[in-house]
Amino acid sequence: MSFRGTTTLLSRATRIQTKLQSSLSATVIELDDVSYQHAGHAAMKESSEQETHFNLKIVSEKFEGVNLVKRHRMVYEVLDDELKSGLHALSIIAKTPKEITPEVK
Amino acid sequence: MATILFKGIAARSLTTRLTSSSYYGMRYTTKVSNDTDTHDDFKPTNKVENSGTSLSSIIEQDVKDNPVMIYMKGVPDFPQCGFSSLAVKVLKQYDVPLSARNILQDPEVKDAVKAFSHWPTFPQVFIKGEFIGGSDIVLSMHQSGELKEKLKDVVSKQ
Repeated sequence: MSFRGTTTLLSRATRIQTKLQSSLSATVIELDDVSYQHAGHAAMKESSEQETHFNLKIVSEKFEGVNLVKRHRMVYEVLDDELKSGLHALSIIAKTPKEITPEVK
Repeated sequence: MATILFKGIAARSLTTRLTSSSYYGMRYTTKVSNDTDTHDDFKPTNKVENSGTSLSSIIEQDVKDNPVMIYMKGVPDFPQCGFSSLAVKVLKQYDVPLSARNILQDPEVKDAVKAFSHWPTFPQVFIKGEFIGGSDIVLSMHQSGELKEKLKDVVSKQ
């Protein structure tokens, strides 16, 4: 199996995961591609692009003491290239390890 | 008065177009840009490249004048994206005036808002001039009670 040229061949989902993992040292990343739910909506009409909408749940220590807007900004910053190349929307739930214990799975 | 007159045609027609075509709460119409009967001379001139400052000042004015301002896809009564729809639905729980611009209708405004808030996606909600965030944040602030707190001194529409 050859991995030549994988950076472009990898799915956006994989790239997002890798980027968040390394830049935000996320302990949990749950990423769902929900592009199909938005395939027909107004802004997507003329686009045949795949992987445009995702739901993301991310847990990172780096969110400690950081408000929601800043947490979202941190994620957007890491994914800047993706947002510029067709990633359209991201629903983000950003938590710290402390915030997810114990009742939220 | 004189300053208004001297503002220049491009700036004025742009402002007029924005106000009349996409400003929710006032009459809006989609006729402007695709009315084939309109002669080119009467169409609003599109001055995106050199009107950056005036666009950002329009946004500044928006968020200053409107206690709850949302930049969204579609209009509040007919959102054209699930996230915009969600944000509107949440905000409508509160008895506050909701002002909106449809960014699908104005790509220039869309880019200007992005640059203004340094936020890449829509909808974008501003309360009393403060950038709040997108639908996830609005929903989560609604659930935590923070939104109620933020909106408590915003007077209802009559």
